[in-house]
Amino acid sequence: MIEFKDVSLIYPNRVEALKNIDLTIEKGEFVVIVGMSGAGKSTLMKCINRMVVPTGGEVIVDNQIVSQLKESKLRQLRTQIGIIFQDYNLVKRMSVLRNVMVGRLGHTSTFNSLISRFPQEDLQLAMKNLKRIGIDEKAYVRSDQLSGGQQQRVSIARVLTQQPKIILADEPVASLDPPTSHQVMRDLKRVSKEDGLTTIVNLHFIDLAMEYADRIIGMREGEIVFDGPIAEVTEKTFEEIYGRPIREEEKRGD
Amino acid sequence: MNNQKKISLRSQRSVKQKTIITLIVTSLVLLYAFSLWSQDFTIASSQSSPLTILYRLFIVPIIDPTYWSSFVENSLLMLETVAIAYAGGIAASLFALPLAVFSAKNSGGKVSYVGKVILNAIRSIPELLFGVFFVAAVGPGSFAGVLAISINSIGMIGKLYAESIESIDRAPVDAIKASGGNRLQAFWYGILPQILPQFLSISLFRFEIDVRASTILGLVGAGGIGVPLILSQQQRHWEEVGVILIIVIVFVVVIDQLSGKIRTKLV
Repeated sequence: MIEFKDVSLIYPNRVEALKNIDLTIEKGEFVVIVGMSGAGKSTLMKCINRMVVPTGGEVIVDNQIVSQLKESKLRQLRTQIGIIFQDYNLVKRMSVLRNVMVGRLGHTSTFNSLISRFPQEDLQLAMKNLKRIGIDEKAYVRSDQLSGGQQQRVSIARVLTQQPKIILADEPVASLDPPTSHQVMRDLKRVSKEDGLTTIVNLHFIDLAMEYADRIIGMREGEIVFDGPIAEVTEKTFEEIYGRPIREEEKRGD
Repeated sequence: MNNQKKISLRSQRSVKQKTIITLIVTSLVLLYAFSLWSQDFTIASSQSSPLTILYRLFIVPIIDPTYWSSFVENSLLMLETVAIAYAGGIAASLFALPLAVFSAKNSGGKVSYVGKVILNAIRSIPELLFGVFFVAAVGPGSFAGVLAISINSIGMIGKLYAESIESIDRAPVDAIKASGGNRLQAFWYGILPQILPQFLSISLFRFEIDVRASTILGLVGAGGIGVPLILSQQQRHWEEVGVILIIVIVFVVVIDQLSGKIRTKLV
């Protein structure tokens, strides 16, 4: 469970990224955060694994106050939180399998990881996860040989191999074309349901949000302006979140 | 169509720009004229014509069997030169590593310019000077050559290493740290795979240069093929000089080709 209690964040350049956020996300939810760029979506997400530290309030993940964790406890928490980035963040020169094994680094001793000695069951796990998203035959291919959509699916396999409880995906399909976007979102939703993971996705395409979310949180200027199950959401809701009519480019299409 | 304003590919230059360009071009032309005029083109008297020397350099050693044995002898010395370059190059690659980390902007931080200044200073001293210095310090022989090559190469290798460290992609490092990896793991899995092929390629490229440089270093007594080269040249023993030059050319060409091939495979 993830809780935000009266969380505020003011960046050093005095930008108020988050204003008094109160929010609870239950285990196993698939939440999509929507809002225009600069609304505070990324900042909200970064608070969860302390890539940024709130200037006020508390973020509580699994009953631990994130801002009070010591360095080693923080690393432990981070192994529980998988992140999917907009630009995949793979090491381009390494093979797909090695990139997926990067997800195991937090569970592997430093010495063993330096000499690439991973337990066989970890390698089995990595391979199984590649199979789940259908790119196991590319395991030994250099990752820069893959298309954008394939690379993003490798990064999903990497996150799964980390065996996290929470997945944070920050604009995971912003660099992809419509059919690939759908495939990545489908894969992400499927595996997170299969493993019972809490998943938070930042999106700015409203049709993708409508199609894949269980619950939608709308943000504008650092505040939560909408929070409700997908059944309550219509195009009107998005117009309220954005504060203006929806434009065609805010839909990804099929 | 005709009433459209004409579009030129280049933006219009102002009068000031035109004057500056004219000034630069004229001064370059004048500089060239002056340097030509200041040369002394008279040929000092010589006992043998350039053609005979060329003949004795490159034809006689090949057609006259008496010189064939000296090919073997000098090839061994050339191997010593290659060994000097190799040893010096490896030492330089190792020493350049910390200097490069120190002088790259993203890893060295605010004091990175100190490292850059050191590397620049090393690079601005010619290797022959290092050769003379080390021959004086440790005596003539290949050890002086190795020292001269290694110190001299640090300048260039360090600078190129630093540039490749500066150009790395930080994103995978963030990904590893965010998933709970520690700093060493982030370096090993996020940075090393990005820089290692480039580092190898840089060191190989420098090795090519070092083979040529250590040939020259023999001239000041720092071991290898350069020693017999300078001796036979001073005795005007052109056939012997020819043998050595042919060996040097063959070795340098082969090494450059090989290392070029390896380098394209690496990156």
